[in-house]
Amino acid sequence: MKRRDFIALMGAALACPAAALAQNQARVYRIYWLSTQAQPDPFLDGFREGLRAKGYVEGRNVVLELHYAIGNPQALREVASELRRGKVDLAVSSGPATRAMTAVAEVPVLFALSGDPVELGLVKSLGEPGGNFTGSTFLSLDLAGKRVELLKEVLPNLRKLAVFSNANHPGEQSEWRATREAAQKLGVEPIYVPFSGASEFDSPLEKVGQVHADALLVFPDVLTMVHRAKIADFAMAHRLPSMFGWSEYCDAGGLLSYGANQRATYFWLATYADRILRGEKPADLPVFQPTRFELVVNLRTAQRLGIDLDKSSILFRANRVIE
Amino acid sequence: MTRPRRSLFFKYFITLFVAVVVPLVLGAITEAWFAFRDNRLYLNEILQVEARSAADRIQAFTDGIRDQLGWVVQFPWTEGEDDRRRIDGLRLLQQVPAVVSLSMIDPSGIERVFVSRVSMNRAGRGSDMSADPPVAGARANRVWYGPVHYRRDSEPYMQIAVAGNRAAAGVVVADINLKLIWDIIAAIKIGDTGHALVLDDAGRLIAHPDISLVLRSGAGAGDLSRLKSSVSEANGSAVSTTGEDGKSVVALAVRAPNVGWTVIAEQPVLEAYESIRAALWRSVILIFIGIVFSLVLAYWRACRMWGPIRQLEKGVERIGMGQFDHRITIQSRDELEQLAARFNQMAEELGTSQQKSERINRLKQFLAPQVAELVEHSDPRLLDGQRREVVAIFGDLRGFTAFSARAEPDAVMAVLRQYYEAIGAVTARHEATLIRFAGDGVMVLVNAPVTCESPADRGVRLAIDMQAAVQSLAGTWSAGGSAIGFGVGVATGAATVGTLGYQGRLDYTAIGSVVNLASRLCSLAGDGQVLLDSAVRERVGNGFALSSIGERPIKGYDRALEIFAVNGRNMSASGLGPAGDSSLERPRQGLALAETT
Repeated sequence: MKRRDFIALMGAALACPAAALAQNQARVYRIYWLSTQAQPDPFLDGFREGLRAKGYVEGRNVVLELHYAIGNPQALREVASELRRGKVDLAVSSGPATRAMTAVAEVPVLFALSGDPVELGLVKSLGEPGGNFTGSTFLSLDLAGKRVELLKEVLPNLRKLAVFSNANHPGEQSEWRATREAAQKLGVEPIYVPFSGASEFDSPLEKVGQVHADALLVFPDVLTMVHRAKIADFAMAHRLPSMFGWSEYCDAGGLLSYGANQRATYFWLATYADRILRGEKPADLPVFQPTRFELVVNLRTAQRLGIDLDKSSILFRANRVIE
Repeated sequence: MTRPRRSLFFKYFITLFVAVVVPLVLGAITEAWFAFRDNRLYLNEILQVEARSAADRIQAFTDGIRDQLGWVVQFPWTEGEDDRRRIDGLRLLQQVPAVVSLSMIDPSGIERVFVSRVSMNRAGRGSDMSADPPVAGARANRVWYGPVHYRRDSEPYMQIAVAGNRAAAGVVVADINLKLIWDIIAAIKIGDTGHALVLDDAGRLIAHPDISLVLRSGAGAGDLSRLKSSVSEANGSAVSTTGEDGKSVVALAVRAPNVGWTVIAEQPVLEAYESIRAALWRSVILIFIGIVFSLVLAYWRACRMWGPIRQLEKGVERIGMGQFDHRITIQSRDELEQLAARFNQMAEELGTSQQKSERINRLKQFLAPQVAELVEHSDPRLLDGQRREVVAIFGDLRGFTAFSARAEPDAVMAVLRQYYEAIGAVTARHEATLIRFAGDGVMVLVNAPVTCESPADRGVRLAIDMQAAVQSLAGTWSAGGSAIGFGVGVATGAATVGTLGYQGRLDYTAIGSVVNLASRLCSLAGDGQVLLDSAVRERVGNGFALSSIGERPIKGYDRALEIFAVNGRNMSASGLGPAGDSSLERPRQGLALAETT
């Protein structure tokens, strides 16, 4: 056995293995970034950070083409058909834009979804996507109930809960259903306040103020993310304890958030982008699910709302407390 | 001459070449083999350490979870403490990130508390779980490790159930997200690209540095099972096999005992044997240089050996063909040069001795052998042209023309042979020079080319002996019915002597009036008579009995010369007058060719 190995090795050594240095350094990759929202884009920052960590330098070996089609499904379709013509190495979509991409089969597409990509028909299964789509899902459906539960723990007297949601968000209806079921179990009455697109943002928010809710639950979404400070200020003005999906909302003044770290997710998405650009097929890259969920509490907001959290189990469970 | 089948050139070339290359190759192979063995042992150790460390860390991971779970089931259940238990559960979730959810089951098997990171928590009397395998297993063995399963075909999970010391403490069942083992496995680096991976008993991937392979759940299970069985067969020593990605790897397996998983540490063959590959390449380059070097050296050396030998061979061939002036030029400063010098010397000596023998042969044509030897061994300029006092002796047969016309050719030749033998013997005895003979005439010189004392005496003696010898022969010839006589003329004086002729036919001859005179005297001489000119008579003095036969006109001379005849000893007995005996024909031209008028 050993002798055979030795002889094989000698043969291999003399065969002079051509080192796999085939990576074309001169190549400039084009990545198509598609979102229904506008800049500033917090997800793009995370993705760019991830690309930099993988050794990509924008302008030298990678070009990001940013396309924002704010709340216009027709414009999204046009972008998608343009994508099918153009010479693009990879498309990255976030939120509702992914739905417009389903027709694209020519280029690999990376997505970050809070909904279920299998249900949306983007992939065959999480383990083996099988097509030109792969990316990340946030388990929003499970976490929707968890958020109501946490809010109830902080506010044992919670009765009416205003739910502020972007109706254009994919899987938004399932998320609302999960929220409603959880609320009912906990004896809370959820009040659904949907909005669609950036143009219809302010008046539904005003409506939240009129429903006399005990607390506000905001579904995580790019649009609410971009306007997180506005929403947090609004909640404070109406003395509404608020619950969000991502920690960035708490940094902006929201009371609580529970969910996966967005920056980490997009940072990680860049590693998939790297692997696809190196030639791996999206069909073989499983859809990633977050493992760690962070509970963030803004103690300052709590104090301003007059909520005493010291007796709650929430503080020791929090991954981060903003004081 | 045929060329040898195996040239010396190739023999030398091959020998020198092999002498360098074979030890070099053998050395390199031996070196490579030992390097390979050491490398192999080292690799085995490294993989062993890494796999063991991974297995230990996985053990620590599951043991840590088990210990934390044990902490939840320390106290017996009491009524109304669900909330406290729930807090315990939440704190545990906080402590152990891998635990996704936790069920606490009271001693009767009822789920009392359920906490989760993702799903909603529950408290209070839940379903009866006493028959579930985790609960049953934990009750039987205190700790129960569930099989690995994949959630939504992607994420690997397992359950761990722990029972308290006493049955009253209940059971806790935790869902563990095994993706977190990734941190342990990803931290293991063997060389640059070597890694560790974890498989369960069914050959499914639990942990791999490339998490996407794990998330693919069942995909590639066949490859992994094959890898697992081939590595496990080796019982903890490294084997070369095909890795999960189809590349050749060196791999080693150890078991993580409590969960029954297999940890495989592997390194790509190319990388594992990088150092010895480099060594092999160095050896190959060295061998190549050695081959080139030995080629050049062997070629050069063989040429240096083969070239002079060919030169020698050619030289010897030419010398053998008689080209004694050929010289072999070899400047190798060794024995071959010496050998060439010897050959040259040999050729020179052969040439000299050939020249010598040629010269002697030539001399022997007209000199007595001893005279020839004398000439050969004295001054070589002896034969050069010079003016010299010589004695010329001419003799010819009388009545020979008539005889030759009459007699048979055999008889003519027999007579001539006897005649020449007799003349030759007398000439040799007196160390004179037989210049030539033509028909029945002969010419002999004394004092040329070899000088002697009192040549005139010797000449006269020679003439007398010659006359006597021929006369004794003539007796036998006469008996055969033929009357053949013999006459001799002797003259002395200055003449030009030397070799004359052209390449291949050279004669030693004398030119001058003395020759003509001797020839005329011979013509005048009758049978048995020896005639001398006055110069001879003066020279010999009174040594011989001479008588003048008076003055006679001689062709080529203004006045008549006095001529003497030898009377000495038996000469007079013949009784023949100088002008008598008309029965014999008159002397012919004889050796008229020597005559210079």
